[in-house]
Amino acid sequence: MNTLLKKFKHLLPALLLTGAAASSADELHVYNWSDYIAEDTLAGFEQQTGIKVIYDVYDANEIMEAKLLAGRSGYDLIFPTARPFAERHIKAGLYQPLDKSQLSGLDNLDPVLMNSLASIDAGNAHLIPYMWGSSGIGYNVTKVREILGDDMPTDTWRLLFDPEIVAKLADCGVTLMDDPTEVLVAANIYRGAAADDFSRDSIKAASATVSAVRPHVRYFHSSQYINDLANGDTCVAHGYSGDVLQARDRAAEADNGVEIAYVVPAEGALVWTDVMAIPADAPNPAAAHRFINYLLQPDVIAPITDYVAYANANLAATALVDAEIRNNPGIYPPAETRAKLLVTPTPSERQIRDLNRSWTRVKTGQ
Amino acid sequence: MSLKSTLPTARHLIIAVPWFWLALFFLLPFLFVLKISLSEPVLAQPPYFDLIREIEDGFVTIVLNFSNYQLLLEDSLYFKALLGSLKIAGISTLCCLLIGYPMAYAIARSPAHWRLPLLMLIILPFWTSFLIRIYAWIGILKGNGLLNGVLLWLGIIDSPLEILHTPVAVYIGVVYNYLPFVVLPLYATLIRLDTTLLEAAADLGCRPWKQFMLITLPLSLPGVFAGAMLVFIPVMGEFVIPDLLGGPDTLMLGKLMWTEFFSNKDWPLASSLAALLLVALIVPFVLLRHFERRAEEAAT
Amino acid sequence: MASLRQFKPEESWQAPEGEPIVRIENVTKRFGTFYAVDDISLQIHQGEFFSLLGASGCGKTTLLRMLAGFETPTSGRLFIDGQDVTDVPPYARPVNMMFQSYALFPHMNVADNIAFGLKQERMPKAERRERVAEMLSLVQIEALASRKPHQLSGGQRQRVALARALARHPKILLLDEPLGALDKKLREQTQFELVNIQERLGITFIVVTHDQEEAMTMSSRIALMHEGRIEQVDPPRRLYEFPSTRYAASFIGSVNLFDGYVLQQDDDQVLVQCDDAETRLLVRHSQPLVPGMAVTVALRPEKMRVLGQLDADTPNQLRGRIKEIAYLGDVSIYHVELPGGKRVQFTQSNVQALAEQPLTWDEEVVLGWSANSCGVLTE
Repeated sequence: MNTLLKKFKHLLPALLLTGAAASSADELHVYNWSDYIAEDTLAGFEQQTGIKVIYDVYDANEIMEAKLLAGRSGYDLIFPTARPFAERHIKAGLYQPLDKSQLSGLDNLDPVLMNSLASIDAGNAHLIPYMWGSSGIGYNVTKVREILGDDMPTDTWRLLFDPEIVAKLADCGVTLMDDPTEVLVAANIYRGAAADDFSRDSIKAASATVSAVRPHVRYFHSSQYINDLANGDTCVAHGYSGDVLQARDRAAEADNGVEIAYVVPAEGALVWTDVMAIPADAPNPAAAHRFINYLLQPDVIAPITDYVAYANANLAATALVDAEIRNNPGIYPPAETRAKLLVTPTPSERQIRDLNRSWTRVKTGQ
Repeated sequence: MSLKSTLPTARHLIIAVPWFWLALFFLLPFLFVLKISLSEPVLAQPPYFDLIREIEDGFVTIVLNFSNYQLLLEDSLYFKALLGSLKIAGISTLCCLLIGYPMAYAIARSPAHWRLPLLMLIILPFWTSFLIRIYAWIGILKGNGLLNGVLLWLGIIDSPLEILHTPVAVYIGVVYNYLPFVVLPLYATLIRLDTTLLEAAADLGCRPWKQFMLITLPLSLPGVFAGAMLVFIPVMGEFVIPDLLGGPDTLMLGKLMWTEFFSNKDWPLASSLAALLLVALIVPFVLLRHFERRAEEAAT
Repeated sequence: MASLRQFKPEESWQAPEGEPIVRIENVTKRFGTFYAVDDISLQIHQGEFFSLLGASGCGKTTLLRMLAGFETPTSGRLFIDGQDVTDVPPYARPVNMMFQSYALFPHMNVADNIAFGLKQERMPKAERRERVAEMLSLVQIEALASRKPHQLSGGQRQRVALARALARHPKILLLDEPLGALDKKLREQTQFELVNIQERLGITFIVVTHDQEEAMTMSSRIALMHEGRIEQVDPPRRLYEFPSTRYAASFIGSVNLFDGYVLQQDDDQVLVQCDDAETRLLVRHSQPLVPGMAVTVALRPEKMRVLGQLDADTPNQLRGRIKEIAYLGDVSIYHVELPGGKRVQFTQSNVQALAEQPLTWDEEVVLGWSANSCGVLTE
């Protein structure tokens, strides 16, 4: 689950009102996360195919989903997060199956990811993986060491959920994501419960874990921490790998003495995959296939990874990726770290509502 | 005679236009919302069951589902959110009035050639995007922001104040943003106030402060209520300001509605909330109409 | 012009004994470079119905507002009942004002409007209720006590404003154009009532008006104002019969003015050489004048009689031709052109006109009047 620069997400409800324009044969309507392609990606495609791309962006899966559910979105290609969004969209019949005869280079896709996706999309009929990453802990190395001492391990969820430790870090600034699944599942992992247990009791217990540290949490937000970590305003953040690395780079650019690191906690952490899918009512599925085909080319997807700092699913592209990105364990984790990553479990519809309402209570301290 | 008999029709037409407008842009959308609120969520397109379902050829059944309202009434979270919204809207309205009244009064009593520039100063911020102005407040209020910087530099405080992501920040943002909605109607009322009434009161033995309490204030009440409603009603449903400036413990209906609509995809529950919020707002609106009518009577 | 008060024309007004209730000493009010009130001194006595009369912009309202306390004099002092009130705020002055617009409080009913001033002085409730009832009956609007101002007619509002201003029993009541907003018929009727109320209560009234007829009808004395100064202060009849300035003469009623110079004076009669009338006029005037001095002879149009032919017994005579006739019902106004081209006006009651042979256009007439019927103006 990815959020890059969620800053203007509130502008997007307004976008809901403006239906996409009627398509013509040589137009492709793409709806993607903001800041999720390289600067020349679209120009390259238009040059190769002569198809004009109308490109809209969103900052939250929920916004994209609301538009999709309302019907007649007019988009040909969307980039949902696989679990739980693409999963339930397939169940609801919102996607059309891919015509694989129109696609080439599918063999290059990471088999581990393809197998994992097959569990929510039988036979990989609808989804092509795009980027993937993990959510873990970003922290200010110097300050955390100063407060907790050199002996305290930092690759643990205790940094976020152990009330004693969080209390010590509170003045320096601890933040959690504003996402019930991410936070409550992480709390479950921390307290040693099953990550995919969304029973009411389990949600209640996980909520209690978060509530215990809530007084010391500065805020719940899924993107604000990028800036605050980089500026030294906060010390520990629950965040997405790419976002934390972005904060690290910003701090390094600003040369402000702030050193940020990203860790995947030893207890385990969630991994997410963003996929490409064609809505059932897409006006121009042929163009959508051509765009997917274009993104399957290793020399197209590698520069995107260089730009967005997330790992792509194309094994043939890895060698083309900038060495600094390729060798960054936060982006391309080594096998042992990858083993600790858990696929985001999918709660049922009823469980989602329980999660969200419980989350509102936790956040507001009710 | 023929002219006379056609006149009522023309008059009815003129009256019909605003009614038609209300029906088209208020009543009709509200009926849609009401319809969805009586439905059940489902993972589909659209994400709710239609109320009218065909069971056999030519036979339909209408299924009304009141469980959303039941949940809203049973789950204390929503009642607390209503109280939270009422509290924030109420306190903000009061602050707006306390700050806006002296401003409107000062403008209305300033020399005529000063009034337009002063009013422009009130309106000017509106030429900047609402979001940008709220983001500016983040920059001012945050831990290492402008306000703390100045206060630290002046030596008034030793460590930065925690204002951003607290209720105080929400009040600052709301009051700042809605202040013109209080100042403008109040100004309009105060500028119309006949100043000879104050002279008459002074002549009858009234000191300045009592002149204000006995004459100016009661006669400006229509403006006070108009301004108060213009703040109270939108703040009740306000979402952006508490979301950006407020802390996680800011519990308001607007935020809950967002969660229900986007995170939960529970359009029926979100619609029920919207319907209940409307009812909660109609009460003060009816009050406003009541006071307006009284003011109209007083003016004629 | 009928006065409601009886004064013999020659009788000059006698100031009563003792301290005047209002003493205005060298008061000036300047707005920027404009002198609204220019060095005015005036004394008004207990029980007077005193009018400030003048055209708009003459400073009469500014003077009244200074008495009420809404304006502060630029220089000079104001005394009310012996107390220097120049710097006393309006709410502490023993005067009340009836505003031109009435300034009734729209959010209070009639009774509350009247009781407003009483509440300010913390009058006990029972006494207050009694006073309100008394005021309502004084202005005969008992039935309207619970009405709001917007439910009243113009005349009724005027009465409420009067009752409200009188309720505190002020030493002085200031009235700013009290009848200005009423139609002509109601105005005439109300004039009598105002005078009755004033005489009954014995309160000093100071009225601002631009309507000379109104001032003449109601006042004990009139101060005629012009460009921030007082032209003349006198009882109505004196002001009419013996204007002291050209402005005073022409502001009130109509007047024929003949410019000239003094030939000679004996006892109380002056002989004036008037070149524009090509004749000498004999005028009664007791103040001593220097021969050769430039003066103006003022003659009211109704003082002239048609002589038919030159008559040795009448000291002042003019011959001319009727050029215009204006029929006004009770009287007619005739414009007569003198041989030198100057025009004079005279009026004649129509009772007379019908009895005798009516005058017609281009008819030559001889007009005559006595020395007592005209006056000499020196400024």
